[in-house]
Amino acid sequence: MGVIVTTRWTAQRRRARAIRGLVVLVAIVVAIAPVVWTVMAAIGILPNENTRPPTLIVALTADHLAEVSVAEPTFWQELATSLLVSAGAALLAGTVSMLAAYGLARRPGRTQARVVPGLLVLASLPVMAYVIPLSDLMRRVGLVDTLPGLILAEAAVTAPLAVYVFYAYLVGVSTEAEEAARLEGAGLAALLRRVVLPTAAPIAAATVIVLFVLDWNLLLTPLVLTGIDVRTLPVVLTDFFTLERELDWPTAAAALTISLVPVLALVGLLIRLLDRFSLGGGVEGVAS
Amino acid sequence: MRLTRRERLILYVPFVLLVSGWLIVPAVIGLVATLTNYAPTELAVRWVGLQNFARILGDRSFAAAIRNVLVVTLVGVPLQLAIGFGLAFVLRRPFRGRTLARVLLLVPWLISPVASGVMWHFVLAGETSLPNFALGWMGASPQPSPLGQHGLALATVVLVETWRVAPLVAFLLLPGLMSIPHQRWEDATVDGLGSIGAARHVALPAIIPLVLAISILLIGGALATFDSVLTMTGGGPGSETVTPALYSYEKAFTVSDWPVGAASGWLIGAAVLVVGLAYVRLARWASS
Repeated sequence: MGVIVTTRWTAQRRRARAIRGLVVLVAIVVAIAPVVWTVMAAIGILPNENTRPPTLIVALTADHLAEVSVAEPTFWQELATSLLVSAGAALLAGTVSMLAAYGLARRPGRTQARVVPGLLVLASLPVMAYVIPLSDLMRRVGLVDTLPGLILAEAAVTAPLAVYVFYAYLVGVSTEAEEAARLEGAGLAALLRRVVLPTAAPIAAATVIVLFVLDWNLLLTPLVLTGIDVRTLPVVLTDFFTLERELDWPTAAAALTISLVPVLALVGLLIRLLDRFSLGGGVEGVAS
Repeated sequence: MRLTRRERLILYVPFVLLVSGWLIVPAVIGLVATLTNYAPTELAVRWVGLQNFARILGDRSFAAAIRNVLVVTLVGVPLQLAIGFGLAFVLRRPFRGRTLARVLLLVPWLISPVASGVMWHFVLAGETSLPNFALGWMGASPQPSPLGQHGLALATVVLVETWRVAPLVAFLLLPGLMSIPHQRWEDATVDGLGSIGAARHVALPAIIPLVLAISILLIGGALATFDSVLTMTGGGPGSETVTPALYSYEKAFTVSDWPVGAASGWLIGAAVLVVGLAYVRLARWASS
């Protein structure tokens, strides 16, 4: 009897595992097929759809990657700008948000229940709702088309989400060590540096990575707030491809591939660290 | 753990400065400006009341934009949530290769919306089409790009956005599912619940606050749809894939109708704020 139950049990598990494997496989294929197609075009593997059935023309070359800087002479400089702006904005938003989240998490009373979901609403607010007047303000104070101006604007886009994430983490952390440090007379700076930050470092790093990816991909903010001097990759990509002036596919594919490499490397190498990023788990999470 | 009032203020100041200076103040100024004929080049600024809003609401292409963004939101967001939940559910238990699977599944989110737009434009079009390549192998004749076809363009935009966003939903849901105590899954198995039963009775109730949080972010993103349509269709064919954000951008920066651009941008923000209010109430209810 027991044996029969066990066999049925194992059979069921095996079937569940097979279904799971299939679902994951199909999802991965759908997720990366267009990207693989793009990378193939970038390195010279193109379809020939005039034959029956269609074939692939394989002419491996780095020419398309080189053509990117012919079509867009300042492409490498723009790549550097993107790296600088995204890193700057992510670090700025991360720092500012960690401070604010700590203040919120160690606040007596229950007003957070109102403030914290509000942060998420702020995080969802479309850039389009305020970027047009922002561009006018920035022009007036001379920050338009400058690195600091763009870094500040991108940091403001992502900071509310970061506060939400840090708050969800900090509110669930035991405060014993903080109390002990306080009894020994630690001031705010010492408290943050010696007690809070060391334990929060992994989630802080994970969040900064997520912010980096978000900033890396922002289009509207740099599109509207910059012009000639400061150009990020998403803005360049819109230039590369406007419906009027269509660039050929291998060059566009090469530009796409290059713009994907930094974030893919970052996430691929640090995926385990990224596990710490969380909007606050389940019921026990936020605002409890 | 108590912080003094002064310490909390110090913690809040950088965040408040950043977010008010680069987000809230421009939004408020923008709202006031839309009640006037203000434009950066306008010398004689005067009060015009709701005239700008009246012009937008009377514009047929804005009506089309509203219709389109409602489809993108009402069809896209539930689809993204459902697929994301399904993926997170199959990924919740460790298996060999799970880390690799998670990195590969994040690839669509790493691609910026603007890059995704460029990529899908080519992946679906003519000589470089991936679906046509596959169709050719199955002996079918090549199809024109759905992005250029009446009735199919908007659906394709929704699917491409779902492709890009659903993996992120899975990434955000996974920590919530993994924080569910092991015992609860076991109990579900003992009670004879299958996978679907476990998903409904164990997983979903535990992550409702998280699902709400992700929903508001997705709704904000869907209502703001801009980058991807800009490069994928440019709003066409006709105005079948125009969104309010694309409308605002074109009014403000292409035809230099600043007041109308700023006003319609504000309408998108207002829509998110209304949904946001509902979210704040729901979030409080779900966590109580």
